[in-house]
Amino acid sequence: MSTHTENSPSACAGCQHHIGNLVKLGLDMSKFDYVVALAGNPNTGKSTVFNSITGLRQHTGNWPGKTVARAEGGFALDGRRYKLVDLPGTYSLLSTTVDEEIARNFILFARPDVTVVVVDASHLERNLNLVLQVLSITDRAVVCLNLIDEAERHGRRIDHRRLARDLGVPVVPTVARSRRGIDDLLTTVAQVASGEIVCKPYRLARRSRQAERVVTELADSVEATYPGLSNARWVALRLLDGDAHLEDALRSGELMELTAPAPGVAPAAGARAGSEVLASEAAVARVIETARALRWKIGSEFHDSLTEDLYTEAARIADRATMVGEASGFDLDRAIDNLVTHRVLGFPIMLAILTVVFWLTIAGANVPSGLIADFLIGRVHPWLHSLSGAIHMPAWLAGFLFDGVYLATAWVVSVMLPPMAIFFPLFTLLEDFGYLARVSFNLDGLFKRAGAHGKQALSMSMGFGCNAAGVVATRIIDSPRERLIAIITNNFALCNGRWPTQILIATIFVGGLVPAHLSGLVSAGAVVTVAVLGVAMTFVVSWLLSRTVLKGEPSSFSLELPPYRPPRFWHTLYTSIIDRTLIVLWRAVVFAAPAGAVIWLTGNIHVGGTSVAEHLVQAFDPFGMLIGLNGVILLAYIVAIPANEIIIPTVLMLTVMTAGIAGVGSGSGVMFELDSIADVSQLLRAGGWTVLTGVNLMLFSLLHNPCSTTIYTIYKETRSRRWTTVAALLPVVMGLVVCFLVAQVWRIVAP
Amino acid sequence: MTPAANLAVFFLGAALLGVVFWPRRGLFARGRQGRSLARRVELEDALKHVYNHDARGQTSTLESLAGALEISSTSAVALVDRMQSVGLARVADGRILLTDEGRRYALEVIRAHRLWERYLADETGIDPLEWHERAERKEHKLSREEADALSARLGDPRFDPHGDPIPTADGAVFDGEVLPLTSLAQGERAMVAHVEDEPRVVYAQLVALGVYPGLVVCVASKSEQRIEIESEGRRFVLAPLVAQNVSIRRIEIEEPAGAPVETLASLRPGEAADVVRLSPACRGIERRRLMDLGIVPGTRVQLERRGLTGGLSAYHVRGTVIGLREEQASLIGVVRREPAAEEKRGESAIRAGVLDEDMQ
Repeated sequence: MSTHTENSPSACAGCQHHIGNLVKLGLDMSKFDYVVALAGNPNTGKSTVFNSITGLRQHTGNWPGKTVARAEGGFALDGRRYKLVDLPGTYSLLSTTVDEEIARNFILFARPDVTVVVVDASHLERNLNLVLQVLSITDRAVVCLNLIDEAERHGRRIDHRRLARDLGVPVVPTVARSRRGIDDLLTTVAQVASGEIVCKPYRLARRSRQAERVVTELADSVEATYPGLSNARWVALRLLDGDAHLEDALRSGELMELTAPAPGVAPAAGARAGSEVLASEAAVARVIETARALRWKIGSEFHDSLTEDLYTEAARIADRATMVGEASGFDLDRAIDNLVTHRVLGFPIMLAILTVVFWLTIAGANVPSGLIADFLIGRVHPWLHSLSGAIHMPAWLAGFLFDGVYLATAWVVSVMLPPMAIFFPLFTLLEDFGYLARVSFNLDGLFKRAGAHGKQALSMSMGFGCNAAGVVATRIIDSPRERLIAIITNNFALCNGRWPTQILIATIFVGGLVPAHLSGLVSAGAVVTVAVLGVAMTFVVSWLLSRTVLKGEPSSFSLELPPYRPPRFWHTLYTSIIDRTLIVLWRAVVFAAPAGAVIWLTGNIHVGGTSVAEHLVQAFDPFGMLIGLNGVILLAYIVAIPANEIIIPTVLMLTVMTAGIAGVGSGSGVMFELDSIADVSQLLRAGGWTVLTGVNLMLFSLLHNPCSTTIYTIYKETRSRRWTTVAALLPVVMGLVVCFLVAQVWRIVAP
Repeated sequence: MTPAANLAVFFLGAALLGVVFWPRRGLFARGRQGRSLARRVELEDALKHVYNHDARGQTSTLESLAGALEISSTSAVALVDRMQSVGLARVADGRILLTDEGRRYALEVIRAHRLWERYLADETGIDPLEWHERAERKEHKLSREEADALSARLGDPRFDPHGDPIPTADGAVFDGEVLPLTSLAQGERAMVAHVEDEPRVVYAQLVALGVYPGLVVCVASKSEQRIEIESEGRRFVLAPLVAQNVSIRRIEIEEPAGAPVETLASLRPGEAADVVRLSPACRGIERRRLMDLGIVPGTRVQLERRGLTGGLSAYHVRGTVIGLREEQASLIGVVRREPAAEEKRGESAIRAGVLDEDMQ
């Protein structure tokens, strides 16, 4: 092994990677000796393997020109430095999805020194499909047999030596979560990279006789044109399958470069390869011509039979390597499934679990929310003001910074953080355990009727916590049409930031209509009605979208019911707080800070003696009154777009300012809340609010544009201005129409 | 204004917007269709008409053209004049004949039409009944370069979703021998090669019956009035007039001896079956997804449980449990397995569990 180091430290004799194509893909190889690609099916713990190898030495970006995320990192072993590139998780490399194309092209054109295929040991058969395809492209691969602990729990043991013999490449059993086997994996990767282990990958041959003849004919022609190409047969198959990218690679000579000796070894060899390129342009055209002619000779089921052959072979190899232990009499997974999908008990169990989650979130968030608010708003805010006084800061600057930017940010943090920090981990625990997939399974029938996917139940529930997180959660829906439906309708799930508004307004205006002892019950009923209305809207709008603007989007359905896994509490807590809570909170803060500034400025910039806010409120008032709201509410929804949490403080501030009420609040442009509901009620009624205003505000709070954090997240997820615009405008138009209609009918019916 | 007046203004405004912006029938959409486009559409439709008549060995005349394009005979004369003046057609003994240039042009339009149908079928969720109509519009708008790019993106497909060959970029058309379904005798088996998409009423009926290119059919009984077809475990009756619109290709099909082919949807909980084919009606990402999940011929599938709310069932497939909807399950052809045959493959902790449950 050490000979390599001494011989050619710069040329890297053992390498096979194609430096030109790597650079084209944006990979900096200047500090690395070898490049290692990580492939695998989705949900095989590929990213866990990646993390446990690279630790913190990783960074993420996108594939050039694509929206697909790429992670890369590095590791060192015995003085050699390896770059590890995480390929998109795919089930196969045969079709034309963006993910599969990226993975396929990387292995083909960048020629990684080693390709590690991560395989889920309990789903060996399905995973081997991908392994066989990778092995037909590259001959330097290592199979990482992951999750062997889970397979063993389900009574399967994998004979990895047998598997390695059958596949012709090393197989390393691992449990990436606990780093078991990772060191072995790295050593093996190093040995394959240096050429110490030579792989003889298994290549599939058996096909229907007619197809086999055609494939062989073309493969011979490819081989004659590209002597030394290690995967001529695979190239032939791709050409027959009509792979446009590969045809281009043939024409441009890209494929030709790969047959030349590794660049930098000897200049003479490079020159010779160059002359070959010129010589065989006609030959390339001949190969493509042959492929086109032969395509009409193979049956129309050619593509299917390719996949079929792969699976048959995968099944055979998996069968030989799997040792099934004695069937234990009791199957825990099945027992749990019987219970949670039970005809009678299924729904009550689901409702009970979700109720507990919501109750824990609401009840558990109150105390920390109060503590944070006391600290940030009750203590730090006055302290900042006294500080500004002490250092003689100009009043306008202190107001702008502390009453505007700081206060809005503090408000968002105190109201948003605690419920999310409780809700997301609970939800993630249920997800990791496997229960949420069963909820989708139970509810799919309902969503199907609305043209949606059962998994939308999850993104919708997540939306009750936070719509931005709900939109991110739609990633689990792998069908484009249903995913867009879930994204656009997520806003109809009444998020955590809107509950306090609903409860407050319902208590004042709806609860006020009935005798005091019924008030609590009736106002709670009103809030629940609005939430249920939101769910109903989700279904109605899903149905409409799937039959109108979205009917052209492609659609497919699949729902995997994964085996139950014991949730890893601390790990879940950590990742859900990092991935979900903090990211959402950060985005909200980024948007809230400037909004706070705007709110303060509208209240403090005066034009012709009155503040901008008052001018705007007066301008909006006629339209606001027409639809049963008022100018204050409309302005509040415009300036407080970053977060629904600051709607009520903004409304109170604006009401005090425009109605000219003295002695309440903390000054113009400064948001505030009142401790006593009676005080709020008095204030709002003084501002001209009626029961209609209250009812319409509740409706508008449900049906209005998503907050800017959510809109931004929708854009990030869809990468489409069009769908982002639809998602932002559809609910607000609905809200305006509904409020308008309610107001007119109300005025006709009410005395 | 009173609330009632407000409401009246609102509904009037909404109605007005509808009239103007309604898709395809609104004023806005109609105004967008320019006159020059309409002239080209007419010309291209005429070329297609003549080409198709030629291909069927029929002659095209002024009358047939006027009838097919639903125009007056005066307009038809003007149209043929136009075709002659640009060198796309000539007239001999009252027959309209295409020049080489006209033939090439016609094939380009047909190529665009069939490619677009293929695209709609594979990459979008558009309803099969709308394919033809949409392609009729799109074929006039797709340039040759766009058609080539589309073809490359779709992996140079060879057939459109109705089973018609797509002309290649250099104007070649694949000729395979196809026969009308009515030519099959009782008990004969064949594969559907083509389903004519016009007239629409007949096509809709065939789509509703689930007749697609690639479907294997067997004539169960045949008389003057009706042809009874058996396919994938179901039977349906076609009127000869409808059957005329279905073409078949005779090929040797390996049928699993004895066992009838049913669909996955016919399984009951605990029952197992082997997949023998995915229906050709299962296309695009739907097909890819199912195959990714390992549902390919030869796969053993077992119905694990049914969902609580309509249609969704969980199946054991290659060591995983996957939920599939009923519409999907009915696209998967299977052959039932006897429990005895099942014992041979010694895989099964899971299956053993099922047997236990059955015995209880």
